[in-house]
Amino acid sequence: DVPVLVSEDIVISQPAKILSFLRKQKYNADYQLSAKQGADTLAYIALLEEKLLPALLHTFWVEAENYCSVTKPWFASRIPFPLSLYLPGKMSREALNRILLTRGGPPLYSLTEVEAQIYRDAKECLNLLSKRLGTSQFFFGDMPTTLDAYVFGFLAPIYKVCFPRVQLQEHLKQLSNLCRFCDDILTCYFRLTVSGHSPAGQDTADANLQKLTQLVNKESNLIEKMDDNLRKSPQHPPRKLSTLKLAAGGEESSPLNRLSP
Amino acid sequence: AAEPWPENAALYQQLKEDQILLSDNASSLAVQAFLQMCNLPVQVVCRANAEYMSPSGKVPFIHVGNQVVSELGPIVQFVKAKGHSLSDGLDEVQKAEMKAYMELVNNMLLTAELYLQWCDDVTVEEITHPRYGSPYPWPLNRILSYQKQWEVRRKMKAIGWAGKTLEQVLEDVDQCCQALSQRLGTQPYFFNKQPTELDALVFGHLFTILTTQLITDELSEKVKNYSNLTAFCRRIEQQYFEGHDKDSSATGAARSAKRPL
Repeated sequence: DVPVLVSEDIVISQPAKILSFLRKQKYNADYQLSAKQGADTLAYIALLEEKLLPALLHTFWVEAENYCSVTKPWFASRIPFPLSLYLPGKMSREALNRILLTRGGPPLYSLTEVEAQIYRDAKECLNLLSKRLGTSQFFFGDMPTTLDAYVFGFLAPIYKVCFPRVQLQEHLKQLSNLCRFCDDILTCYFRLTVSGHSPAGQDTADANLQKLTQLVNKESNLIEKMDDNLRKSPQHPPRKLSTLKLAAGGEESSPLNRLSP
Repeated sequence: AAEPWPENAALYQQLKEDQILLSDNASSLAVQAFLQMCNLPVQVVCRANAEYMSPSGKVPFIHVGNQVVSELGPIVQFVKAKGHSLSDGLDEVQKAEMKAYMELVNNMLLTAELYLQWCDDVTVEEITHPRYGSPYPWPLNRILSYQKQWEVRRKMKAIGWAGKTLEQVLEDVDQCCQALSQRLGTQPYFFNKQPTELDALVFGHLFTILTTQLITDELSEKVKNYSNLTAFCRRIEQQYFEGHDKDSSATGAARSAKRPL
């Protein structure tokens, strides 16, 4: 079951449990949200799982062209032989099963009707997200929260992976604020440049990033000097520009990196 | 111009006293509340085979003129096409929020109800099996209820709920109620002055949970923890179901004493 978080001796799977564990370790992105906003987060996550997830599963695992040319080789390349022959097929069957059990059934009697319905729902869900996001940078103002992470998790694969059959991606690309949202998070937290990699452009980007990193480091040194306050504060507030370095290995082998234009 | 709503519109559900289960009762009550809020009269008709008559296999369904529509979502669309709507006054962001909260109720509350009545062995043995097939002779009653149980358990497995314990399910219910309570706050309805389909849906589920006697009171205790939710249910009951003909009101029997389910 992926994703899996391994911390010392503890192994946790499933996003909800991982987030709960992180919260107990005092890492909480929703620290500044009101109770109502926390409730909204739960509601929108339910919306994503009900309306967007079936179409996402279909695009990746059920749509024959997509599965055969992209998903299967991609996953199989990371799974050791001989599991690579069996696991992708199993995941594909499970995805189809899930779609049919949750969304199939009368009055939709054929797979094409079910597919049409789930894509309609997914497009409606994307429209709703776009309306909710509006012109703000993140869903609850200037600071990213758990909801932003969830939405990004659902949208980024649709946005970035190059599939042969792309009706959902085309719809998403028409919603410019959602595309901008994904790009922002990718540049801030995953250190990928969105536009082409011209060496000059890359250098200035690197220089800017270095300057910003130094500024943030200085600030965090100041904060660390205030020992007492830190010890008393119950949560680590989320930082906008992260100085966290992603493991170099993880970044290079990231499929998003490999397949993005 | 709005099309006229016929006098003989009927809503079909299973037999109220002996057969209907928690989840179906909740769905049926939600639709009844919605139609009451739209001021559209409907006669509640109880039939043992309501599930099989329904075009989607789910109750309740309404028979209006020469059309048959089942489940709250499609019924809301159908009623809107006839010119009646509760959510026209909402702006785009509010509509998105409303849809998200409706998915939350479906995702968490309805699934928890289904889990409790089909996956919790004690409840299944003592309540569900005897009730579900009660209008039919042996062995048909057992066959039908085992068939339905198998179907529901398959679906639970596909969405990952089969591995949950009862405590975890009750915690999810608590989380959902907390979110609803925080969203409702001190307002009379979820979108302040006017009820919408979200209010109908929440009322349907919460009222049914509060007034249905199960093996233990754990489920209804979760809802009772939030006083604004119980006040909300009472308010809607008083406004839309009081003074209504006892025969056609699902709350008629429930109001006098806690009905054994």
